[in-house]
Amino acid sequence: MSLFSRFMDGWRKYRKPGYYDEFDYHWTMAIDLDKCTGCQACMTACQAENNIPIVGEEELARGREIQWIRVERYWEGEYPNAKLSFIPIMCQHCDSAPCETVCPVSATYHNQDGLNTQIYNRCIGTRSCAVYCPYEVRYFNYYDHHWDSPLEQQLNPDVTVRGKGVMEKCTFCIQRIREAKDHAKDDGRRRVQDGEVQPACVQTCPSKALVFGDRKDSENEVSVAINDPRKYRVLDELNTDSSVFYLKKVDA
Amino acid sequence: MPNIDRRDFLKLVGAGGVSVGAGFMLREANKDATEYLIPHVVAPEDFSSGLATWYNSVCSMCPAGCGISVRTREGLAKKIEGNPAHPVNQGGLCSLGQAGLQVLYNPDRLTGPLKQTSARGSGSFEQITWDEGLDQLGSRLDLLRAARRGNRVAMLTQGVRGHLAQLFDNFMRQLGSQRLLHYDFNHPHTLYAANQRFFGQDRLPYYDLHNTRMLLSFGADYLTNWISPVHHSLGFGESRQGSSNERGRFIQIEPRMSASGAAADEWLAAKPGTEGILALALANHIVSEGNYAGADRADWAVALTDYTPAKAAEQTGIPQSTITRLADSFIDIQPSLAIGGGAAANHSNGVDTLMAVNVLNYLAGNIGQEGGLLLNPEPTSVVSQQQQASYSTLLEFAEAARQGEIDVLILNGSNPVFTLPQASEFREALASIPLVVSLSSFLDETTAMADLILPSHTYLESWGDDFPEPGMGFPVGAVSQPVVSPLYNTRATGDIILALARQMNVGTALPWENMEECIKDGWRQIYERGDAQTLAQGFDSFWTSVLRAGVWGETAAGDSEFTLDRSVISNIGVQAPEFSGSEEDFPFILHPYLSPNFYDGRGANLPWMQERPDPMTSVVYGSWVEMNPSTAKELDLIEGDLVDIQSLHGTVRAPVYLYPAIMPNVVAMPIGQGHQEFGRYAKDRGVNPIEILSPEIEPITGQLASSATRVNIVPTGRRSKLVKTSGTSRDLGREIVQFADVNGVELSSAGSNSIPITEVTA
Repeated sequence: MSLFSRFMDGWRKYRKPGYYDEFDYHWTMAIDLDKCTGCQACMTACQAENNIPIVGEEELARGREIQWIRVERYWEGEYPNAKLSFIPIMCQHCDSAPCETVCPVSATYHNQDGLNTQIYNRCIGTRSCAVYCPYEVRYFNYYDHHWDSPLEQQLNPDVTVRGKGVMEKCTFCIQRIREAKDHAKDDGRRRVQDGEVQPACVQTCPSKALVFGDRKDSENEVSVAINDPRKYRVLDELNTDSSVFYLKKVDA
Repeated sequence: MPNIDRRDFLKLVGAGGVSVGAGFMLREANKDATEYLIPHVVAPEDFSSGLATWYNSVCSMCPAGCGISVRTREGLAKKIEGNPAHPVNQGGLCSLGQAGLQVLYNPDRLTGPLKQTSARGSGSFEQITWDEGLDQLGSRLDLLRAARRGNRVAMLTQGVRGHLAQLFDNFMRQLGSQRLLHYDFNHPHTLYAANQRFFGQDRLPYYDLHNTRMLLSFGADYLTNWISPVHHSLGFGESRQGSSNERGRFIQIEPRMSASGAAADEWLAAKPGTEGILALALANHIVSEGNYAGADRADWAVALTDYTPAKAAEQTGIPQSTITRLADSFIDIQPSLAIGGGAAANHSNGVDTLMAVNVLNYLAGNIGQEGGLLLNPEPTSVVSQQQQASYSTLLEFAEAARQGEIDVLILNGSNPVFTLPQASEFREALASIPLVVSLSSFLDETTAMADLILPSHTYLESWGDDFPEPGMGFPVGAVSQPVVSPLYNTRATGDIILALARQMNVGTALPWENMEECIKDGWRQIYERGDAQTLAQGFDSFWTSVLRAGVWGETAAGDSEFTLDRSVISNIGVQAPEFSGSEEDFPFILHPYLSPNFYDGRGANLPWMQERPDPMTSVVYGSWVEMNPSTAKELDLIEGDLVDIQSLHGTVRAPVYLYPAIMPNVVAMPIGQGHQEFGRYAKDRGVNPIEILSPEIEPITGQLASSATRVNIVPTGRRSKLVKTSGTSRDLGREIVQFADVNGVELSSAGSNSIPITEVTA
């Protein structure tokens, strides 16, 4: 084998997300912007599920909010032809994630399910990943956040409460994926079935604009959605190969 | 070293072992309960550590009545989700519903009965026991009842349905009082009245958004707060990109773009209060074009003569061509549906406006059609809808209080001091009532004026049931069960009422030991009316299955035949709206809208909702006044400038927000902030625009015409920073949101990268 082909082999391997030959599951989300009403139920559901702290007005004014999922709003045109469009943005779980390559301590990495995961214990708070993320979905804990008693009784025991100096972001509700896998294993089944896992945002969406599933199952709802002619990915030109697909808003 | 033989050695080892054991047990015995990892030695049946237990119940954050499933772990509530089996929300849940956990675990909850120790409103309370509290109120009620002066007792509750409502009714009847008032700020009195007049029914019809292909909404923000927003959102999603090949078309007519306006394909701003005239102009065009073939078309032609599109164009500000186009597509695209509500229904002509909307549905043949408007059958279970008190009724009540006709007022969850305009002088009227008792879980503005507080459980700690309105075309009921044990020394509202009844010796009429029994008894009657299959399983199994499913429904659809009473036709007509204040002194029309975060203010004490950006503006933690950028330019204002908003009845101060989709002569303010009490998260934050509303009423229903106030905007020269989460409000060519035509072909978003005037000035 020539040196060149060895190098190319290595390069291809290096370019494989997380060095995996194949993912076990390929969790994917599809968001139909023609259905999204901007109601932000997804945001509150996420806050409740993932122990996301309240930072307070003063910190928020400094742009230090923590919202794993947020709804962005874009106006077009002027009165009386003004139009407003909403788009929910969360971690896009890119298969070529810029944040993964930059982390000096490998606190963020790609797991065997195609998820971009964050290891809180490893994170040393350089915030480089937040700089590299083109979607601005990584949030930093500037403080140890506090829950006024007894609000802490609501905290989800399946999710870590993050401390000061740690970066956090959407996990596609990995605790729910783990639970579904455990159930599948207990049942003696090999794989998680479609519909067994729904992240909190998908579960609550009043207009059912969000769907979630394993892209490796070509029959399911999410696979149908990501093959829709309206599909696109945000900032696709950056080749991040993200796992969140959007369906274009219809302008009729 | 002493000589130790084998026996001594064993004795010593034995003694040592016993004392170590004793010491350990002593320490364990002295341990504080919280030091145990799992405090239950014998765990309750439904409690297994590490595993979640789900309870189905009913959401009580707004009157829609969505079904919820609450996830609990180790006896604590962790997450609320929509119940997929409930026909109203089918698994979905709005933001406020999600935040119900923060009602339960709110740090500012009242933890036990309190008694006001000095002047009212001073905020000095002392703790008392339940016996003392119930005795103080019960003995007073008993005396009044014995003296046949029960009518001097009034009860003001938030809108309550199901068996709790029946219990209230029964209790007040035993007391001999007619004064049971259900009051919600957002109750659609005008919608009920218009439907009553048109369809002859006291209940709301089912609006089939799921199957409609063309929705005309006259001011109804059906995705945020109109009747049943989660159900409508489901319908919207289904109509847009559901199983049908044809994508539903949505048109919204309102002076300020709401969330439903943003979701619509077309947003039109008719002059405030002229929505009904617009609807009749559409009707006129439908009839005059010969698109209505009914036998009564000659009657309609006569009734609608004054509402020609040309004339309406002048009155509404909507071009004639648009009116005729809308009218044609309302007929051409079938099934179609027209709905009305929100600001359009909150004018002096509210009922007439909504009648006009019904006319459109009638002429297009949408009544009783799939994708149109389906009349609900008579409820077979308990009375679904309680008579709600209108603004006028509350004014009459306040007047009775001032006349000294009220001795005792019992408040349950309702916060009229916050949700009534200052012009009603309700707060002042409370001073004439010798004993004010509140059953609220929080120290809200009205509860702060109470002499006695008997705090009730939150909805997640108590038994209850609900029969959602509007029905789903078939009878639906749901039982609400406690998901956690009560956190504090509070009691269920029903239990308080039952305890009072026992104290008054009217227990025979209200024989239940507690609310759970009352609910169970009521459901026994529902069970007994069931079919043979239901009866065969026995009540216990029926009850368990209802609790497990969280919802109960019968498939029997009722008869929804409808023939229009001809006298309705001649009474159709919409007058021009009346506003309070002259156009010269008060050049702007105030458009107060319910905040998507706080509903009518009840969500303002929830930190999640405070930190959740407003969907349209992304502002958090405060109040603002929205105006058109061109208006702001004229007044030389930019974002964050503090202005006084003055009406004939008061002034509030708020920072300016430049809102691209609002009429230039309209200013809008969200309702929900501006609490003077209501806990640490809500208190002293923002302003309450209800305060300055003029006491204009809609004459047929007595509902407050809350969109009929004119205001003046006076710059103060001061600024305040608006805390927002979004930076620029424009896409600037990044193509974050992309557009396609109906076939999925990409559309270029040309011109989106220009800097908007909202930001040029700011």
